[in-house]
Amino acid sequence: MFAINIVAQEVSEKGDVYPKGSELIVGAIAFGFFFFFLWRWVVPRFNAVLSERRAKIQGQLESAEQTRRQAEGELAEYREQLASARGDANRIIEEARETAEQFRRDIQAKAEEESRNTVARAQDEIRAERDRVFNELRAQVADIAVTLAGRVVGAELDTKSHERLIDEYIEQVASSPN
Amino acid sequence: MTVPVVGASWVPPSTKDFVFRCWGGGLTVGGVQICFNFITLLVLLTFIALIVLFTMAFRRPTVVPGKLQALMELGLEFVREQIAIPVLGQDADRFLPLLASLFFFILVGNLFEVIPGFNFSANSRVAFPLTLAIIAWATYNGVGIAKHGFFGYLQHTCIIEQAPAPLRYTLLMVIEFISNIVVRPITLTIRLTANFVAGHFLLAIFFLGTVFFLKDGPKTWVFAAVSFPLSVMLVGFEIFVAVLQAFIFAILTGSYIGGALAEDH
Repeated sequence: MFAINIVAQEVSEKGDVYPKGSELIVGAIAFGFFFFFLWRWVVPRFNAVLSERRAKIQGQLESAEQTRRQAEGELAEYREQLASARGDANRIIEEARETAEQFRRDIQAKAEEESRNTVARAQDEIRAERDRVFNELRAQVADIAVTLAGRVVGAELDTKSHERLIDEYIEQVASSPN
Repeated sequence: MTVPVVGASWVPPSTKDFVFRCWGGGLTVGGVQICFNFITLLVLLTFIALIVLFTMAFRRPTVVPGKLQALMELGLEFVREQIAIPVLGQDADRFLPLLASLFFFILVGNLFEVIPGFNFSANSRVAFPLTLAIIAWATYNGVGIAKHGFFGYLQHTCIIEQAPAPLRYTLLMVIEFISNIVVRPITLTIRLTANFVAGHFLLAIFFLGTVFFLKDGPKTWVFAAVSFPLSVMLVGFEIFVAVLQAFIFAILTGSYIGGALAEDH
């Protein structure tokens, strides 16, 4: 069915697979050098880099931990400061408010006082002016009256007694309801 | 011997695939002729590849590793975490260089099985696994003797304290001696060699078979359609075997060392 040409049939022999002395030597030398190389050069470097890495990672973890702790401390401190600052601010505002209120009250009181004083002074002045005018008028009226009366009566009346009479008259007039 | 029938001719793989001629003359050292051939080239390339990879990776090792450094660290880390520590515990770091060199040397050697152009692993020549097995054997016996003394180690290795006395010093002692001292290097050698001899045959048959089926004409293409995907899958399988056998060799060596160092059975 299928054609198979067997060309130069090679016969397997036991000797073909036996170990050869030269191969043992070559293998031993190659392996020996490689072992020595790995033992003296590669593995120490490998271990060194591993421990360096371990140390570095550990150091980083520790410093990260330290940084974290520090940051937490600072945060707490800031929070505390913030809270106290807020308290301070509230206190200052409260004080300012009180001061302002005090000021306002003071100013108001002073203003009221001043206005009262001003009014009182004005009233005094008015009263004084009125009295002055009144006295002046009375004097003039008395003079006029005396002069008129003197002219009418034709006799020089005693000014002093007449002034008294006039005063009495004016008092009478002033006290009588208009 | 050619049997001309129809179509292409088929050359089945044989153990001759594992015999390589010398390139140029060799030199004889103590009765052993050493010459440069394909196998020597493979071992040399394995060696150079490993030296270059590790040198480049660890020439200036950085705390934040580059790609190659990360890869090689991963390999060493694997040997430490998955091989050395499980079987050796606190002795792991002492034997890490040996276990790591066994692992990487075998792994890279094995991978030549599937590297196009080479398609052959030096570890399918029994001499190389044997060399490594002898090193492993010398190591675990050596550290055992260093720890327990020669007779102490023999006792530690061959005597099962819990066994009944008549058996303990007769049959079991012999069995333990053969199994722990004699057979271990042989099984280490044969396990690795056989895997790559078989792997080579498997790949050779599937790839050469695919070529044969394609050459033989349209009526056998249907077989090629099956054998070609299978050959590709087998390459993947051989890569898996390459890693697995390197791992097994290293972990068994580690476990033998661990057993030799243990306080008691």
